[in-house]
Amino acid sequence: MNIDKEKLKKIVGENNFSDNIADLYVYASDASVHYALPTVIVRPKNTEEIQKIMRYANKEKIPVIPRGAGSGTSGHTVPIDGGIILDMKRMNRILDIRPEDMLVKVEPGVVDDDLNRALKPLGLFYPPAPASSRIATIGGEIAANASGVRSVKYGATRDYVYGMKVVLANGDLVNLGSNTRVHSSGYQLERIIVGSEGTLAVVVEATMGIRPLPKYRCLAVANFDKLKDAGNAISDVISSGSNPSMLEIMDKVGIIAVNKAMDLGLSEVGAIILFEADGNVKGAVDFEIEKMEKICKKHNGYEIKKSYDLEERTKLFSGRKKLFAALSRYKEGIICTDLADDMGVPNSKIAEAAEKIHEIAEKNNVIMAVYGHCGSGVIHTKIMLDSHKKSQWKDAERVVEELYDYIHSVGGVISAEHGIGLSKAPAWKKARSDMLPMMKKVKQALDPNNILNPHKLMDAPDDWVRATKLRYQVGS
Amino acid sequence: MMFSKLFKSLNKKNFKRSKKWEEELNKCIRCGYCYELCPLFKSYNWESDTPRGKLLLIYGMITGEIEPTQDIVEKIFQCFYCKNCSDNCSAGVPITEILSDARADLMEQGFDVEGTIVKIDEDLCSACGICLSLCKYEALTIDEKDKDNPKIVVDKIECRGCGLCLSACPSGAITQKEGCVVTLPELHEKVKEILSEDEKKLIVFACNWSLFPGMDLSESPTLIKTHYGIIVSMCSGRVAPELVLNAILEGAWGVMVAGCPPEECDHDGNYKTRRRLVLLKNVLKELNIEPERIRLEWFSTGESAKFSRAIDDFLKDLEKMGPINKMGEKKLEATI
Repeated sequence: MNIDKEKLKKIVGENNFSDNIADLYVYASDASVHYALPTVIVRPKNTEEIQKIMRYANKEKIPVIPRGAGSGTSGHTVPIDGGIILDMKRMNRILDIRPEDMLVKVEPGVVDDDLNRALKPLGLFYPPAPASSRIATIGGEIAANASGVRSVKYGATRDYVYGMKVVLANGDLVNLGSNTRVHSSGYQLERIIVGSEGTLAVVVEATMGIRPLPKYRCLAVANFDKLKDAGNAISDVISSGSNPSMLEIMDKVGIIAVNKAMDLGLSEVGAIILFEADGNVKGAVDFEIEKMEKICKKHNGYEIKKSYDLEERTKLFSGRKKLFAALSRYKEGIICTDLADDMGVPNSKIAEAAEKIHEIAEKNNVIMAVYGHCGSGVIHTKIMLDSHKKSQWKDAERVVEELYDYIHSVGGVISAEHGIGLSKAPAWKKARSDMLPMMKKVKQALDPNNILNPHKLMDAPDDWVRATKLRYQVGS
Repeated sequence: MMFSKLFKSLNKKNFKRSKKWEEELNKCIRCGYCYELCPLFKSYNWESDTPRGKLLLIYGMITGEIEPTQDIVEKIFQCFYCKNCSDNCSAGVPITEILSDARADLMEQGFDVEGTIVKIDEDLCSACGICLSLCKYEALTIDEKDKDNPKIVVDKIECRGCGLCLSACPSGAITQKEGCVVTLPELHEKVKEILSEDEKKLIVFACNWSLFPGMDLSESPTLIKTHYGIIVSMCSGRVAPELVLNAILEGAWGVMVAGCPPEECDHDGNYKTRRRLVLLKNVLKELNIEPERIRLEWFSTGESAKFSRAIDDFLKDLEKMGPINKMGEKKLEATI
């Protein structure tokens, strides 16, 4: 690809430009199974630099891929056509904290936990935090419409985005949304940037809502012998009108994995549920916890432990917090791949979907864990397989197809909070064919030269296994 | 196609130690949690400086996807072995062990590097050997082949870049690459930068190994953040005496050195710090400066609440003492 490297160096400075293989190889992948080399990497520091880069790239029709922490699970930032990686991590200033308005203004490279560290002394927090909040940037969270363990009560990123400054593909700077908590002033264009996976514009500033930190938090854990019972308990908690601030499930595969990885000594039962309530009145928190406790018992939950103490709560939650990586330790000879990782199902289908996942996995010779924020309908899974065997990748392809067909059959979605990227695109395109022409028109209107993160979402290849090189060495 | 396969198979042979880690490298899910507390990433901000990035590069080299280059090798040799990455990796990948084996393979291939390894200036070094006794990893040896001109030699695979030798060298002959705020001039600059802000009274040198990973001071209800500044030091043992004295000279009302409890230090650097600070307090006494203005505190990993309280208490004591009298400061200036 012909790129005027000197021009880019001039814009961002020599130290913030690289075409060195040491950098290109690292920026070629994220947490997904994919990898493809970019042509160059630039690290802009301000809006003006981004505008200059976009004007140049648009004129020369060079792909530009904005990148936050590189923690995406579906290949969102893998530069399938090469081009310019726009590493946004240097734009990491918290521009304004306005407790009186309950708003913050941040640059896109601000790390979620850093924002919360700044808010905590003021008695405030930014709630949608995904499990990767320690490195995930706000820009990346907007791009994926991220959510997390507390989204069951507090909602996802989209519920917190009020205003934005974005640089369009042609380099124009546009203000979207508002600086207030409400607006009814035309198209809610800031909302179409949420979940757009870097395909429509580069976010350079975001005005986000914040919440007061609750005075009390109580976390409880319940054991279940059967995964189905745990799933039904979750559905019942939600439909009973309870108001959990966290409602998580973790199946036996997950429990064994965290025990192996972290020596936690958890009982290796069929499943556990973690449920939390928060608020400013202890009696109200007690009421919510007791209500959920009763529902768990009704569905054969037992050995329920609960605590208000921060240290104890951290201990209870530690297994869940680190489950994602710990799954690699489930069994020797197999590895954990980020495939079919974040489906969303209707509340009434949680137990059924959890059992179906194990059924499909077993049928196709792979292992899958079921965990996630089931209270908000999110079921996380990972496909664990022998990455050296070509046949296992065929197995994974079948699992993905069968699982997504099932999810669609019950009215679910194949991605609830991680986004589509490359690996989920084929199934998603098949299921949402009615919506694709409209999305393509929006993309065409905002990025007519198709330079912003091209060949993702609706334009992604139809074969995820061969869309890019796989990050693993696959034998015959 | 044929050439590419041939290149890959030839290349793989050069990584006999690293190759055994291929399965472990596959266990890495590349979540990136390892780089949250990585001092190298915090200094350079390139993903290739993260533990995840280094593992990727090693994986690329042992599988023949990429060929080792001087730039890649430099990245592999940049690490302080603080192990914040391994502690954060719930996939349990032994990151620093893999790194050491890759270093050995690359050295064997003939690469020479700067990395974060200490360097000896032979013109300044008198080969007194003080540094040898400080290095727990036996990375320093005396080469006495030329009896009239003995030399200190650094084992580039074993050197952890902790810098204990650097802070104790009486000739100032040991140096380390700049850019990570670990060298004496950089630390001096950092002290000055903090004290140039209004109301800053206290400089805290906090150990990267034990304290920094668990540091979250927002829990403290009384801590006045504008009154202190924290400098992350690679080990309390590398807080050289002149750093502490210079901080006082630059206007600090007090200096705290926060390290791991004696039995918990990876490098045995805290014993040295304890001895040094006793001597430094005597120096202050001679200069009519209250020795209580220097404080050594021990903290284990995650003891952030205790850390907050210690800063809080120290600030209160410093408020009572007030700023250092000018006479003492002048004497100190003359001493330095």
